[in-house]
Amino acid sequence: MNPVFRRLQVSVTQQALNQALTLCRATPSIRHPVCASVNERQYRSMPTHGIGKWRHFLPREAPKKKKDKHQMKKIMAPTDTAYGTLNVKVSGHDMTVVEHYSQYIHNFCNRLGIKVSECYALPTKSMEVLLMQEQGTKMYVDATLKTHERVVQLSALNAAMCPVFMDVLLKNQPEGVQLSVMEHTEADFQARFKARPEMEGLMAQMKY
Amino acid sequence: MQQKKMAAPCRRMASRSLLQFLSSFSRTAVGNTATRPFSSTSVCRAALQTKDATDRATSSWTLMAAVCLQRLPVITADYSPIEERFQQLLHQMEQEKSLLSDHEIKLLEDAERMSRKQADDYDSDEEDDHGDQDIVLAQDLEDSWEQKLKSFQPAPRVRADVDKELTSPERCLANSLLLLAEQEVGGQKLWLLPQTQWQQGETLRQTAERALASLPAAGFKATFLGNAPCGVYKYKLPKAARTESSVGIKVFFFKAVLSDGGPPAAPNPSLLWLKKSELQRYLKPAYMMKVEPFILEL
Repeated sequence: MNPVFRRLQVSVTQQALNQALTLCRATPSIRHPVCASVNERQYRSMPTHGIGKWRHFLPREAPKKKKDKHQMKKIMAPTDTAYGTLNVKVSGHDMTVVEHYSQYIHNFCNRLGIKVSECYALPTKSMEVLLMQEQGTKMYVDATLKTHERVVQLSALNAAMCPVFMDVLLKNQPEGVQLSVMEHTEADFQARFKARPEMEGLMAQMKY
Repeated sequence: MQQKKMAAPCRRMASRSLLQFLSSFSRTAVGNTATRPFSSTSVCRAALQTKDATDRATSSWTLMAAVCLQRLPVITADYSPIEERFQQLLHQMEQEKSLLSDHEIKLLEDAERMSRKQADDYDSDEEDDHGDQDIVLAQDLEDSWEQKLKSFQPAPRVRADVDKELTSPERCLANSLLLLAEQEVGGQKLWLLPQTQWQQGETLRQTAERALASLPAAGFKATFLGNAPCGVYKYKLPKAARTESSVGIKVFFFKAVLSDGGPPAAPNPSLLWLKKSELQRYLKPAYMMKVEPFILEL
């Protein structure tokens, strides 16, 4: 008896619920935001279908080819009121100090509104310190010193900002860290790449 | 009243293309303890352009340029008590979280091997192929390094007698010092940043360089940090001294950093090296108000 009653009850409540839902759906114009869950997809016949789409507004980008990846960013020429592309190079033996200082410079530029075009690291150079042995002529390896270099490239440094910028950088320079500010040249950019001897050999053969 | 307040050289400076500079600053104090090894070359981008005399406005202000020469700190400042405690805490935490280095692993292995050798049932054939590792143990290396450290004498950080000499550029190695000169201005001897009058045909930065070079007992090698001035101070002359061409004087300040290279100059009583906190005693209040904002004491 009881299960029959329960099934009847369940079916009755389900029918009631369905009716209620259809009633709700019949008024689609005002949709209460609280009722609609975030993950619920819009039904395709609804007038607001696709309301969140934005990618069709963006201009079409040409598909990126593999060969274009290593184009150099244009080197800005110096104008009357601003310097051109400058490389602020931080180098030292202690990597944590060098990295923290370069991060400090980057954050400082962001705060002052100086545009940072690139921020990269140059490969680490290892230097072996060889000492002469006390009794004997053989040199033995005493220590290996690694020199780490980080470069922060600034695109437009205002001439009025320059003395202030340099002063703060110099006053906050940590020990054991060398700071150097130079103009960016194409040679600097090319120095970041590794030489490919087989490629060069093949190119020379092709030209022959 | 003059309508064009901005004087000609400023305009000319803006139209001239800027000097690029190559400079490298390093913090290793070798030799002269007071200054950092410095190398800088200035590259002129284009030839200096000369403007016609007709578009120079006649202003009634005399122009001067002054140099704000700073000696940067040589050593780090001492930690405050909180900083000291925090540093120790961080050091302890990092040490506890760190892994053993190669040297430390070697020490442990050597100690273990020694203890195995000492045991009675030691068979050297069972040992792995560490043939010549018994010659130089890691412990011996460490002992020799300790010996070398003991024989190294670092220079004293604070020397009280040098700190009191205001004319020496080697005082107060932990602070940045500013150069002050006693110059005669309007009949009075005043303490101020070294300045000199601007002349036709030169930029204000060149005037500032000339001001530095014209100091007695100079020999200061300095690198100017930029072509733009960092501050300006103007004052009107007393009514008696005013002429048609000069109502007052405008002084433009340029920042420069002392670089290494020159031999230590003889102490000159008319030149002082002062910290920012000591400037108040020597500078006039109005002058100090204009100079204070651009001197950074970090």
